[in-house]
Amino acid sequence: MQEPRGEERSGTAEYSGQDLRDMFAAATSWLEKSVPDINALNVFPVPDGDCGTNMLLTMRSTLEEAYRAPDNDAGAVAQAMARGALMGARGNSGVILSQIFRGLAQGLEGHDTFSGKDFAAAFTKGSTVAYKALTRPVEGTILTVARDASTAARDASSTDDDLVPILEATVVAARESVAKTPTLLPTLKQAGVVDAGGQGLYVLFEGALLHLKGDTDIMEVRRPQVVQSVVPLVAKFPQLMTEKEEPFGYCTEFVLQGHKKLNLDRIKRSLTNEGQCLIVVGDENLVHIHIHTFDPGKVLRHATSLGILHEIKIQNMDDQHKEYTEMVKAQAPPPEIATVAVVSGDGLGQVFRSLGVSAIVPGGQTMNPSTRDMLQAVEAVPQDKVIILTNNKNVVPAARQVKGLTSKKVRVVPTETVPQGVAALLAFNYDTDLKTNAAMMEDAVSAVRTIEVTRAVRPAVIGNVKIRRRQAIGFVDGELKAVGEKPAQVLLEVLRGLGTDNSEIVTVYYGKTTKRAEAEKVVEDIRQKHPNLEVELVYGGQPHYDYIASVE
Amino acid sequence: MVRIVTDSSSDIPADVARELQISVVPMYVRFGTQVYRDGVELGTDEFYQKLIASQTVPTTSSPKMKDFSEAYDRLAEETDEILSIHLSSTFSSAYEIAVRASGRVKKECHIEVIDSKTAAMGVGLLAIAAAKQAQKGQRMQQIVKMVKEAAPKARVYVCFETLEYLRRGGRIGKAEALLGSPIKVHPIIGLEDGEIKPVGRERSRSRALERLCSLAGEAANVSSLAIEQGAAPNEAERLRSKLAALFPGKDIYFSAVGSAVAVHTGPRVVGVCLLGR
Repeated sequence: MQEPRGEERSGTAEYSGQDLRDMFAAATSWLEKSVPDINALNVFPVPDGDCGTNMLLTMRSTLEEAYRAPDNDAGAVAQAMARGALMGARGNSGVILSQIFRGLAQGLEGHDTFSGKDFAAAFTKGSTVAYKALTRPVEGTILTVARDASTAARDASSTDDDLVPILEATVVAARESVAKTPTLLPTLKQAGVVDAGGQGLYVLFEGALLHLKGDTDIMEVRRPQVVQSVVPLVAKFPQLMTEKEEPFGYCTEFVLQGHKKLNLDRIKRSLTNEGQCLIVVGDENLVHIHIHTFDPGKVLRHATSLGILHEIKIQNMDDQHKEYTEMVKAQAPPPEIATVAVVSGDGLGQVFRSLGVSAIVPGGQTMNPSTRDMLQAVEAVPQDKVIILTNNKNVVPAARQVKGLTSKKVRVVPTETVPQGVAALLAFNYDTDLKTNAAMMEDAVSAVRTIEVTRAVRPAVIGNVKIRRRQAIGFVDGELKAVGEKPAQVLLEVLRGLGTDNSEIVTVYYGKTTKRAEAEKVVEDIRQKHPNLEVELVYGGQPHYDYIASVE
Repeated sequence: MVRIVTDSSSDIPADVARELQISVVPMYVRFGTQVYRDGVELGTDEFYQKLIASQTVPTTSSPKMKDFSEAYDRLAEETDEILSIHLSSTFSSAYEIAVRASGRVKKECHIEVIDSKTAAMGVGLLAIAAAKQAQKGQRMQQIVKMVKEAAPKARVYVCFETLEYLRRGGRIGKAEALLGSPIKVHPIIGLEDGEIKPVGRERSRSRALERLCSLAGEAANVSSLAIEQGAAPNEAERLRSKLAALFPGKDIYFSAVGSAVAVHTGPRVVGVCLLGR
């Protein structure tokens, strides 16, 4: 591998056509190492597991053309690369990549050499062109990554003119953008992966950067890493394990050379109802067409009426998907222990999910889930060993029934409140067996006390306390401790009587109908009255209970 | 005498390295356009100051081939046996690059390079143990045997303030399961056999320290241990007094994460590293 040659001219480095080519040649060999990883990520738009391969083949074609252009003309090299990319583009990501090169070529047109600033501007152009090429651009894909990365490149170029720091900023932004793709595209989140095309683009830039920095040692001995998502991707590939699947049809791709001048918009319009993922890119002489269709013959017939076809590729995506599913299954992690929790309230659901619960069964107070509800959740998780957290005393008997109805190994940890469930889940040990885990989780429950504040649904006398309907009532671990008019007051009163000298943290989950401002106020009051405690306010969204609090 | 080489991610305190004649090859830390040699041009405190002030996210890279070559060539003037112990190859290319450099040493010199499968003072403790044996006059073969036996038993447990830095650097591995939560938790991760894995989460910092202690207490036949901290000196001190009670009479090394390790841990980390027998 050659060291980059960027020459110093009047303070900033200028790069030649050869430098541009070398940069992407290095990027391509870096990408090549990552192809199996990228293929394994590929779930959108179709889980066919060929995204990495497609991007690599696109890059190879791109470079082949690049070598036909003169070294001393960066603009011409970029032009050749764009043409090579268009001719050789494969798959969605490949076609979008070809559009990035097209924009890059437009930006570098007329440049014998280029600076970091020129590159940033051209890359921005590339991102814009790629967006325009798609009729319905989807966020959370290679497009988003290209845009975020180019924005970072442009920002960096406002303070710096050297390509290295600009590319450094590009790579960092690309990585962050890839990490966020599951938050933008639900398919990715469900599948537990980051976007494959985005990952591919990131790897390309990283390869270019490593080459520019002269980190050839690293390029030889390492391989690119798959970016980690910003959200925990606990459920890996669950939807691939299900039997029911929609057919995908044929991925159809070709290059069309027009008999006369081609009208891209007209081609787009005539093909738009023929299938999914339609991409029509190129210029009036040469157009690359990509579509997922059930009738490739019809698409090809229409295209042949307009000109000559090259590089025709038709693939049965159902076959590809089957191979992909096999590949993913082979990679699937070894069976571990799943946890199923009974939770009501969207906020509390979020808390449990973030703590790694495998499945949530909605319900709890006044809407206890049935044995069947819980059985379904137990059967749905891929693991053979399952722990059920009941989070309510009344759910325990139904949960215990699940054991006898499934072939899976089930343990019930009979948590009686939500805070007990949280404490139990936190005690989950990734390293030990089902029995020990269930025992440790049960033990953890004793470290937490639960306060629940709700309103009386009817008048009652408990002990010698008289309760009117709609009065606020406060419990500690299920035992009535205070009665009052306002839930916030009752919460404070219960806390006062609790004895918190040995406690450290109070977490207040406020309910669905509780006002945030009121909850903030009560938390402020707790902080003032109990300065030794760390107090946290979290939206629980639970019905019926104004406040659920844990003291630990 | 066998001479010991490691990289700066081992976080060996400078005075200990000097005393035991351990050569430390610096990693690189990059903030935007600025590149620093870890521990030489950028210390722990300066790193955290920069982390707060800087707009850009720092990154690390391993020493270059020539850095190792220079270190080996320099030592080869004084000895004909060098043992080079490095950060797990699952996290960095330092090991692979060192292996390559070891083949190019100019003078006749036997160099063994070991992939420790651990990190930070996990590596540091191995290098210290090796250097102590070397000073006692042990030969290469025995020291290599000792290190290779001890390495798989090295344990590192760290309480994090946030796993965000580990995620950003792409080193989070299975501890990914501990990412992100609407309630405040202090994640504890472990490093065993080159793999980062989730250990658990605690709601409070003091309970997290207790957990670190019990993890250390559960380890069998501890021969040496170290406490590491990044921007958490008081907690490290608390941990030290707890561990001193648990391991009476044992030396406990006290180390601050170097800038290269800190890039991946972020601020307010405290951990314990152990070697078993």
